[in-house]
Amino acid sequence: MKFLVTVKRVTDYEAKIKLKADKSGIVTDGVNMIMNPFDEIGVEEALRQREKHGGEVVIVSIGTSDSTDKIRSALAMGADRGILVKHDGPLDSFAVARVLAKIVDKEKPDVVLMGKQAIDDDSNQAAQMLAELLGWGQATFANIVTLEGGRATVVREADGGLETVSTTLPAVVTTDLRLNEPRYAALPGIMKAKKKPLEEVEIGSLGVDIAAKVKTIAYEEPPAKKAGQKVADVASLVTRLKTEAKVI
Amino acid sequence: MTSVSLSSFDLAVPTEEHKMLRDQVRAFARDEVEPQALEHDRHERFNRRLFEKVGELGLLGVTVTEKDGGAGMDATAAVIVHEELSACDPGFALAYLAHSMLCVNNLAVNATDEQKRRWLPKLLTGEAIGAMGMSEPAVGTDVLGLRTTAKKDGDHWVVNGRKMWITNGAVDDERTPCDVMLFYARTGGSDARPEITSFVVQRGTPGFGVGQKIHDKAGMRGSNTAEMVLEDARVPADNLVGEQGGAIKCMMRNLALERVTLAAMSLGIARRSIEVMVSYANDRKAFGKPLNEFGQIQRHIAESYAEYMACRAYVYDTARRMPLDAYGNRLDSDGVKLVASTMGKVVADRAMQVLGGYGYVGEYVVERLWRDAKLLEIGGGTIEAHQKNMTRDLTRGPFPWA
Ligand SMILES: Cc1cc2nc3c(=O)[nH]c(=O)nc-3n(C[C@H](O)[C@H](O)[C@H](O)COP(=O)(O)OP(=O)(O)OC[C@H]3O[C@@H](n4cnc5c(N)ncnc54)[C@H](O)[C@@H]3O)c2cc1C
Repeated sequence: MKFLVTVKRVTDYEAKIKLKADKSGIVTDGVNMIMNPFDEIGVEEALRQREKHGGEVVIVSIGTSDSTDKIRSALAMGADRGILVKHDGPLDSFAVARVLAKIVDKEKPDVVLMGKQAIDDDSNQAAQMLAELLGWGQATFANIVTLEGGRATVVREADGGLETVSTTLPAVVTTDLRLNEPRYAALPGIMKAKKKPLEEVEIGSLGVDIAAKVKTIAYEEPPAKKAGQKVADVASLVTRLKTEAKVI
Repeated sequence: MTSVSLSSFDLAVPTEEHKMLRDQVRAFARDEVEPQALEHDRHERFNRRLFEKVGELGLLGVTVTEKDGGAGMDATAAVIVHEELSACDPGFALAYLAHSMLCVNNLAVNATDEQKRRWLPKLLTGEAIGAMGMSEPAVGTDVLGLRTTAKKDGDHWVVNGRKMWITNGAVDDERTPCDVMLFYARTGGSDARPEITSFVVQRGTPGFGVGQKIHDKAGMRGSNTAEMVLEDARVPADNLVGEQGGAIKCMMRNLALERVTLAAMSLGIARRSIEVMVSYANDRKAFGKPLNEFGQIQRHIAESYAEYMACRAYVYDTARRMPLDAYGNRLDSDGVKLVASTMGKVVADRAMQVLGGYGYVGEYVVERLWRDAKLLEIGGGTIEAHQKNMTRDLTRGPFPWA
């Protein structure tokens, strides 16, 4: 079975985020960059499925050559090869989906594994758009993935509980936090990663329209959190939840 | 000309592999090492299970060649692992160092292929625990004065003596000895020119055991320290490592790596202490303003950072130039341990000072680092020993900049 796993290079969730002076984005200079944690779960899932079913795990990332080290990290975990689609600058989810659709056409994977969202812009759209462009089934927010008899059966985390969906393969699956715990790359894996193939593709050579459909006007800080208040007892808590917060 | 761009070259992560190694070990240390550190320090207990996880990551053979089952990385990689582990748990890092550097790397460099096949596989997974016994109850700095003797008897050596302060010597509180101890014994010569030979003794050898596990250490309590006893211990002749009388040569080959990784532990301690004090000084208020607005606190922070960065450059630069299988640069491997160990101790002390009363209790981490930091001025060569060696080397010359 062939797995295509998407990997995005994002700001560290532990980093302190600062806005650029002109509000056009966030400052990334000097900020630690990591593999999107949901993508890491995707890599882990692909590796585990490969252990069961055999096959190949291919990593794809869109970005500058800085993204190479995140692809290599996935290769160090055990993936077989990588593809870097070279592009500098922002891309909206639809452009990402169109680029990925081109890669899927070429690679013909049985399953595309993606993070449910990237923790930088939290859009949660590219996978759904990709499935639509390909005309494939999709299962988002996966908690358990079972591949059997040409179908993917996915227990997904829905609001208020778990839901099981099933789709024919090929399919697009997005990972949720509890799907698995990604492994650390072992040292021999790190040493091997450099020798694994990593193909670079210029985004322009794909013949895909990547013009933005979504325009970013400005980034803003979320409103500062107000300090919490202490209440004397449960009764006054209930009163204030009713009268001030108006939530009950 | 080299293809390295000087402005983008980073001493502390010179290649992509080093970067990945650092990222992985840092994540592992944060998620797995940090949460157990305080508890194991309190109970003076070595975390065997965690050690096996380190083995699963391939870290126990970081400097061992691929041919011998290791990762085949360099001294810089070893320094990275020690710095990262030590930033969370220096005690655990010391157990790692005694195993991977003092025992495993020494065997990887000095043992025969047949010996390596016998000992390395289990040492590399962590199934077997390794230690190195040089110090004795009556001799430390004055290594050549060691009293342990080995006398040839047929195809065995009969060993008598005691080894003191042996990290990993005992693996638990029940006086179970380590699986493999590389040790030094006198096999002849005169008191003025003793013949010193290295051997491996394995658990189960009659006459080899733990005299006592040493309790009440000030720090490094996540690692076991023990007195080891060799009493008419019969060590097979093919456990002799290197040549008879060649131990000093073997020892010198490993010494530079030992010292630079001990210095790396001090880097980890200092880095963590700086993180703790900077964040505390920003959050904590006194007299209506954050601590970091007071000049005396700024001095603690700024000097700590600058001294750490200076040592970091010296340690990584020395590691970068260090061959693993030849005599290292003794002047600088003594030098890095000399400055980094005291720097680590002083920076941990400043962190404690910045935290005030909170710094004095375990929950705030620096109290533990402060206790651990001191050992680096003693173990693996006291700072006085480094001063002695360095002065001798500098006197003999030539100066490294000549
Ligand atoms: C926690 C811990 C772990 C250890 N782990 C190991 C291990 O795994 N294996 C191992 O073999 N050893 C180990 N050691 C031993 C350590 O290496 C020795 O303690 C160290 O080398 C000093 O020896 P000593 O304690 O006998 O002190 P001594 O050598 O007796 O020194 C006492 C004092 O005299 C000074 N001094 C001695 N000679 C001179 C001189 N010529 N000039 C100036 N000053 C001098 C010393 O610097 C020191 O201040 C460990 C020690 C500790 C505390």
